[in-house]
Amino acid sequence: MSKKSRSKIWFLVHSWLALPIWFFVLIVCVTGTLAVVSQEIVWLANPDVRASKPSDDAELLSYDQVIAAIKRAEPQVIVESLSRPDESHFALSVDLSYPDGRSLEVYVNPYTGVIQGISPSFNFKAFTRALHGWWLVPFTNGYSWGWYLVSLLGLPLLASLVTGLVVYKRFWKGFLKPTLRIKHGARIFWGDFHRLSGIWSIWFIAVISITGTWFLIQAILFDNQVTISSEPIVPVITRDKVPMSSPGVPSPMIPLDDAISIATQRIPGLEASFISLPSTAYSHLRIGGRGWYPLMFQTAEINPYNGEIAASHLLSDRSGLEFVTESMRPLHTGDFGGIWIKLIWFFFGLVLSMMVLSGLLIWSKRTALATLHALKRSAKTAPQSIPLLQADTLEGNR
Amino acid sequence: MSKVTAAAPPSPLRAFWLKWRFHINILLLLVPLGFMPKYFADAALFRGDSGLGEREVGEVQVGPWSLKLAELRNEAPRPDPAGYMKAFNAALCATCGDQVKATYLRIGKPRSLRAAGVIFFGTPYRMGAVLPIPERTPADAELWITMEGWDGAMHQAAIPLSQASPATIAWLNKRGVKP
Repeated sequence: MSKKSRSKIWFLVHSWLALPIWFFVLIVCVTGTLAVVSQEIVWLANPDVRASKPSDDAELLSYDQVIAAIKRAEPQVIVESLSRPDESHFALSVDLSYPDGRSLEVYVNPYTGVIQGISPSFNFKAFTRALHGWWLVPFTNGYSWGWYLVSLLGLPLLASLVTGLVVYKRFWKGFLKPTLRIKHGARIFWGDFHRLSGIWSIWFIAVISITGTWFLIQAILFDNQVTISSEPIVPVITRDKVPMSSPGVPSPMIPLDDAISIATQRIPGLEASFISLPSTAYSHLRIGGRGWYPLMFQTAEINPYNGEIAASHLLSDRSGLEFVTESMRPLHTGDFGGIWIKLIWFFFGLVLSMMVLSGLLIWSKRTALATLHALKRSAKTAPQSIPLLQADTLEGNR
Repeated sequence: MSKVTAAAPPSPLRAFWLKWRFHINILLLLVPLGFMPKYFADAALFRGDSGLGEREVGEVQVGPWSLKLAELRNEAPRPDPAGYMKAFNAALCATCGDQVKATYLRIGKPRSLRAAGVIFFGTPYRMGAVLPIPERTPADAELWITMEGWDGAMHQAAIPLSQASPATIAWLNKRGVKP
């Protein structure tokens, strides 16, 4: 096969990869872009989730102080879990169980312990993530088919990147000589735009497509009961380790702050940015946070009656494979280094969405142009069939 | 132009197909639109905005205590790698919160507290247990609730499974008892 016809095939493959599903791909890109900054959008829209400082010298409350403040305001509620978001401008997220049976996330000021608001029944963050992640298809038995539908897109995305780089001859020259011709009509502009944004997004498209494909593999593994996790299965606290007490008097638990200090002293580097309180009389208290490697979390399970560490899952416990697989999700979402990483992901998410759109525009304009040429020719001479794509000019041969 | 159309007259249907074939995937948007009511109903169910569960079983007296029982979903048990599972939710009586150390659920009478069944996770206001349903469960089986006090006291009660979950009984009947 000649070099020219081979590159033509690559070009055809590139052209057709996303075309029949362009709108689906576009919406997945747009919802993913929104999901990256969904927490920040909520912050902008809802003052309750902001952690405003009452005074310049105000200090953060400890978890026990926060729980005490919640109990003062709402004596009946039971705290189920607390989490301190990565960035200090967010209020604490606390799950409360109310006597009427509702179980709600509330936003608590980290300096005063005031419950600033109850999460609305429409959870924008969860909704955009569900729409992007599994197309809202419910999970009934294993992963939902919506999850498979979306994560399958990782493969054509990866193929688009590879074929795009193959057909864009000497693409590295584009870095040195960026071209974006504005005055030569829409077809030329979108072509330049597609190539320019493409080469600058190589890293991002690679990250998103590889991590997206990982989500597909993850679902396949889970649905076939294959696990690669080194996380210990922690048995419940044995009957004899839960102290007996008098009727109607729950056995006392050690203060949360004591449990945290015991755990962080014995496990150097353990952060307590989220706490789950025991969910039965025989369950452990679970604390966790990011380790030195910001893409993964470390956790410890603590006996709430005596402070004994029952189990821990640290970075040093992870296998090399787990470092790769557990990094996939934060790499996909851009949630591992604060607002600036998120904004970079958001920006390139927009660029990727525009690439889907510009790809479609190029295709339709080129086809329209080719059709016009074909019609003109057939109007001049006897009607003959000209395959539209043969009337094309090859990308990169300009 | 009229010459051209005369030269190659495509049928309107074919022209329509050629023009729109690559936009049909817009219809995929109907999938999330269709599932949206279900998504919001589930969100309300898990927050507790729409009650304890999809179907309330009622108040069950267990010795000096009582609890309100509900099926999380009014449907047949769901398959799971560990077998078929049925999720129940419960809320303890208003004065039971500090009295009850643990609540368990089991099909058939437990022989001891150690075999009381699956434990309820959560708070006295709202807790949940996922009960395995053996495929050979007879249709007249009983659902046993065991409650344990902080001093070790134990109280039990049973209700017919047909009362706790008619959907499970219908599912068992449909499958027939396996040998």
